[in-house]
Amino acid sequence: MAILERITRNIDNRYWDPGTKAFPVKNRYTAGVAGQWFFEELKENGKIYGSRCEDCAVTYVPARIYCERCFKRLEKEKDWLDVGTEGEIHSFTAVHRTKTGEEKEEPSLVAAVKIADGLLIHRLAGVKPEQVEIGMKVKAEFKPKDERQGGIEDIKHFKPL
Amino acid sequence: MRKVAMVGAGMTKFVRRALETPKELSYEAAKTTLDSCGLSLDDVDCVAHGTAPDAFDGIHQNGEYMACGSGGWNKPTMRVFVGGATGVHAIAHGWYHVASGLFDTCLVVCEEKMSSAMPHAQGFFLTIFDSITERPLQPNLLWIFALEMNRYMERYGYTKEDMALAAVNNKRNGLKHPASQFTDEVTVDDVVNSEMMAYPVSRLDVSPVSDGAAAVLLAAEPVARRLTDKPVWIEGVGWTLDTAYWATRDLSYPRYLDKAARMAYDMAGIREPHKQIDIAEPYDPFDYKALHHLEGLQLSPRGKTVELLRDGHFAMDGNMPMCPSGGLLGVGNPIAAAGTMKACELFWQLRGEAGERQVPGNPRLGVAQAWGDLMQVSSVVVAGI
Ligand SMILES: [Zn+2]
Repeated sequence: MAILERITRNIDNRYWDPGTKAFPVKNRYTAGVAGQWFFEELKENGKIYGSRCEDCAVTYVPARIYCERCFKRLEKEKDWLDVGTEGEIHSFTAVHRTKTGEEKEEPSLVAAVKIADGLLIHRLAGVKPEQVEIGMKVKAEFKPKDERQGGIEDIKHFKPL
Repeated sequence: MRKVAMVGAGMTKFVRRALETPKELSYEAAKTTLDSCGLSLDDVDCVAHGTAPDAFDGIHQNGEYMACGSGGWNKPTMRVFVGGATGVHAIAHGWYHVASGLFDTCLVVCEEKMSSAMPHAQGFFLTIFDSITERPLQPNLLWIFALEMNRYMERYGYTKEDMALAAVNNKRNGLKHPASQFTDEVTVDDVVNSEMMAYPVSRLDVSPVSDGAAAVLLAAEPVARRLTDKPVWIEGVGWTLDTAYWATRDLSYPRYLDKAARMAYDMAGIREPHKQIDIAEPYDPFDYKALHHLEGLQLSPRGKTVELLRDGHFAMDGNMPMCPSGGLLGVGNPIAAAGTMKACELFWQLRGEAGERQVPGNPRLGVAQAWGDLMQVSSVVVAGI
């Protein structure tokens, strides 16, 4: 078998091919029954909703229409609840490269924010990478209502309290 | 091997475009199935789930993604992945889990959401073909099947009108299925005069792309007998893979299915399937495929299928009703879910629970089949009461 190209030194290995910027297939997704409600609350009322299974004592965030542990249906009227807009940094990273591999001027911060028993993945702002700590309390900052579109980016970012 | 039965079944409506996510669709089918036999998720020992190409749902590693909707949280869960054959293959796969003695119950869930694919699910099929010899020609499934349909028609002197009879039969049956998306009968003229997609395939020769999910619960004999008076036994399963160099196959006869069917019949102790089988659910993404597959299933002599169809042999009140569910043509074709829907149909028909579309005469033995991958995989399940 003919090998046309090879990298032999580990130090030369690279993770990005900046030439590859497009992928020629498309998908259009629905948010789902739960997603439709969840994002409507986010957009219209600036609220983050979870859904609670009392039997399993678990509050899912974002809210779902069923409990994955026991398969109970989680009804919007009965089992959904406003979980507030504050959480705790469960983990975080500082991203130094763009998705096409170029170095960023400033690293951007991404965190897994624990709210009730769930996690929201989102951007962190108002804090320097060297100041962030796991366990730090953070709060969601929303876009102004007229700019919100019913998506996860209706939350601009989370900021330390 | 232990005896295994279907003890519950359920499905969502098959629709053009669902709001539900693939997870939510899976949940609805799985939950309905558990409710149908009065079980909770705790009673499920393992999950066998299926979804066909990841590209349709638009989620890479879709099996992991939909596992929690299928009841797979914290349970041994395994995905089946053989394209269109997935829905029946998953039954064979779940059967194995229970027949082997490893688990007493297995929840089988198959789901597909084709509406995510833009502009059309056909666009995603390009990447299943050989990247060097075939892809430059921009193949899609319509023209691949057109080649097969043309060869089948040529071999036996069948016409487009002959093939359309299968669409008319299945679509008529489907009108009585509560999960079907259709409200109108079609005629042979409607089919033949619908737009040409790729000669000889016209638009109504083809089943509609759909979203949906279907599920069954399998249980080992002692558990099954405890749960219900009417377990529907899995009498036999079979699956085979023919060559991926599909142009080297005899396109007029589905050899991949011949082998799979014989494997299932041998296991079931069936010597004369054309006499012993009461109802048949051949895989029918295209009308000619229903007939092609009846021949591969050994339920109709090669080249005599149209004659039998015209004589009413495969009608609802005939000797061997074909696709009493309505099939993919009559209910819809959410790929993986469509095959499982056929197994659900055997469950309801053999228990006498198919309502308006119940086949008369207390059918006792049925066969369901699906087909897919690079058009060379088939899976078969024989069920009896
Ligand atoms: Zn629960």
